[in-house]
Amino acid sequence: MKNIRISMLLLTILTLTLSGCAGFQTSNNEEANVNEDGKTVVDFWSFWGSELRRPIIDKIVADFNESQDEIEVRHTYSPWGDIWTKELAAIAAGNPPDVVINDINATAIRGKENQAMNLSEFIDEDFSEKFYPELWEATLYEGDSYGIPFNTDTRVLFYNKDAFEEVGLDPEDPPETWAELEEYATKLDVKENGEYDRLGFYPLWGVGYDVWLLNANGQNYFGEDNNTDTVNINTERNVEVLNWLKSWRERIGEDVVNSYQAQIDSQQGNPFFSGDLAMIVQQPTFYQQISEYAEDLNFGVVQLPEYEPGSGHTSWGGGFVAEIPEGSSDPEAAWEFIEYLTGKEAQTYWAVENFDNIANIEAAEAASESDELTEEGQMVYQIAVESMEDTLLTPAPVEAPGFYNYINPQVDEFFLGQKTAEEALAQAEEDVKNLIEENQ
Amino acid sequence: MGKRKLTMRRKESIYGYIFILPFIVGFFAFTAGPLLFSLAGSFTDYNITSQMNFTGVENYQSLITEDGLFRTSLWNTIYYVAFSVPLTTIGAIFISSLLNQQVPGIRYFRTLYYLPAVLSGVGVYLLWMQLLEPGTGMVNLVLGWVGIDGPNWLYDPDWTKPSLILMKLWSVGGSMLLYLASMQGVSKNLYEAAEIDGASRLRQFFHITIPMITPVIFFDVVTSTIGGFQIFQEAYIMSGNGEGGPANSLLFYNLYMWNQAFENFNMGYAMAMSWILFVIVFVLTIINLKLAPRWVHYEGEEK
Repeated sequence: MKNIRISMLLLTILTLTLSGCAGFQTSNNEEANVNEDGKTVVDFWSFWGSELRRPIIDKIVADFNESQDEIEVRHTYSPWGDIWTKELAAIAAGNPPDVVINDINATAIRGKENQAMNLSEFIDEDFSEKFYPELWEATLYEGDSYGIPFNTDTRVLFYNKDAFEEVGLDPEDPPETWAELEEYATKLDVKENGEYDRLGFYPLWGVGYDVWLLNANGQNYFGEDNNTDTVNINTERNVEVLNWLKSWRERIGEDVVNSYQAQIDSQQGNPFFSGDLAMIVQQPTFYQQISEYAEDLNFGVVQLPEYEPGSGHTSWGGGFVAEIPEGSSDPEAAWEFIEYLTGKEAQTYWAVENFDNIANIEAAEAASESDELTEEGQMVYQIAVESMEDTLLTPAPVEAPGFYNYINPQVDEFFLGQKTAEEALAQAEEDVKNLIEENQ
Repeated sequence: MGKRKLTMRRKESIYGYIFILPFIVGFFAFTAGPLLFSLAGSFTDYNITSQMNFTGVENYQSLITEDGLFRTSLWNTIYYVAFSVPLTTIGAIFISSLLNQQVPGIRYFRTLYYLPAVLSGVGVYLLWMQLLEPGTGMVNLVLGWVGIDGPNWLYDPDWTKPSLILMKLWSVGGSMLLYLASMQGVSKNLYEAAEIDGASRLRQFFHITIPMITPVIFFDVVTSTIGGFQIFQEAYIMSGNGEGGPANSLLFYNLYMWNQAFENFNMGYAMAMSWILFVIVFVLTIINLKLAPRWVHYEGEEK
């Protein structure tokens, strides 16, 4: 018995020591990786692995590799659900890739946490002017950029021109304000025997309540430069907007909203394609679905209506940056690739082939005039580019990570009728303020 | 004689250790390090990349006293465990006793009921999201046939957790198989004797079948309680935006922990959460083990 105990103890100590060694070994990554031709290897990770996107990004990488003879970029596809946890583990292990595509909204936090490299040493003065200012701002932490904007998106209003004509609305004069939106929507409704044959509009398909709050306020919940000294959640205007949104649901009816929602979720069956829904807010890339599933649809596209005349067609967007993880073996080479990736040529190519919004202004304008797009495509892209000027991002301030986790549940309860708008927003504001206090 | 018995015991304990050796080696080589590291990390503000400062019990303190979402997530998880464990256990026993009958084609039924256990993961969740769709889904359609106006399932915070429990009930095939195997191991003599004494089928079930399969029930309850506390994927996929909505009704413990660790990079905080969960599950398991002798019947057990 004793012998066994001792041998067990020994075994335990041995394995513990072994696991200890494995756990705390840090890899020595000072030397750059070089391939057999003596070129510096840049390890590039993206989540673009779909049939559509993979060839496009691979072509951009190949073009870059051919354009010079110092660097070889190797592209690795990592699925959306894995890529950033993998990156984080690789950074912690001291052996990260050199360039990673990451979420623009968390760039500042990643800068603060030393996950992404401070890029200011590579950036000259007018470099930032190539990009939409709102996107550039989102990459800054304490004034330095930690990722270069690559692609982005915005929200615009698609409308059915034939439906407009049918009810006597001018198809070239889409709604400009919320009041017009509501007026047009009721006109576009077609109801027979209490059932909708066509629905004019419902604001919460395609976007959430927060986009309408953003549109009404022209700013996010926080103060200038995302400072958390001001928190504007429980405001009179926000209460009004929430009640306005709910009034749609009450007018149209819960069941109708739910059954349309199910069709929208199924994509091919989107009621906008069949003409059962006259207007919908979507990303410009929605055009690709239209051209695939509803080729003959006579549609128009316009920026989001404004809260009141002159308040601005504010829209909401997100996007992705190319960043260099902390600990990259050759940041200079990585930077060269990022410069190419966010430069006009690569960005235009990406935009036209993917019909995607991009961060580089010059490239976006070039894409909207590209002959490779159809006439309709050019029209949609043109509006997308215009909308970009009015598009805001809502990155989480470093003092309020995940702030929406505190607002969304309250607003959910409001829409479910368990709280009034005032109660819900007051609670949300209190919770977010507590969160900020905890993170000060 | 006494001496010989000792060596016998000794031999047996050596065999015992050899049998569990793979686990012990695996545990110390792969699990023990991270485990201890997470315990240490739970007392720091570790954020994976740049900082790891000792902060004492601050994480635990703010979790327990300040964090409303922590309480919500714990409540959601306990609610889920409290309903899903008994219901799936009863469901599995019920189905396996049905499938233990000698009727023509029983093999096909067994396969059919076991199938859901083979299918698993995200595909099943997406399927159920379609089934539970309030307007167009199959579940409400069928309820409509019998005149029931089905609820909004995954959109109504009062119904989201019952939706998940319903889904779990559908996939009890795994534990059903265990019950079925153990029911088939119950000696026929017992039933014959009971029949001669005039016991009804129901009495036979409660006084012979159930007691004889208590070891499996015990095993199932313990493992499914632990599994229940670890619920994550279901909420991550089926709450639409992956945040645990609507109204935080699907914000389960592990989902909140994951958000803290990988969305907000509060790894130290998340580690503290995982240790609180560990303590909860540990205590529950101890209670289960202590209660076990009162109702679990082991055949051939030394008293």
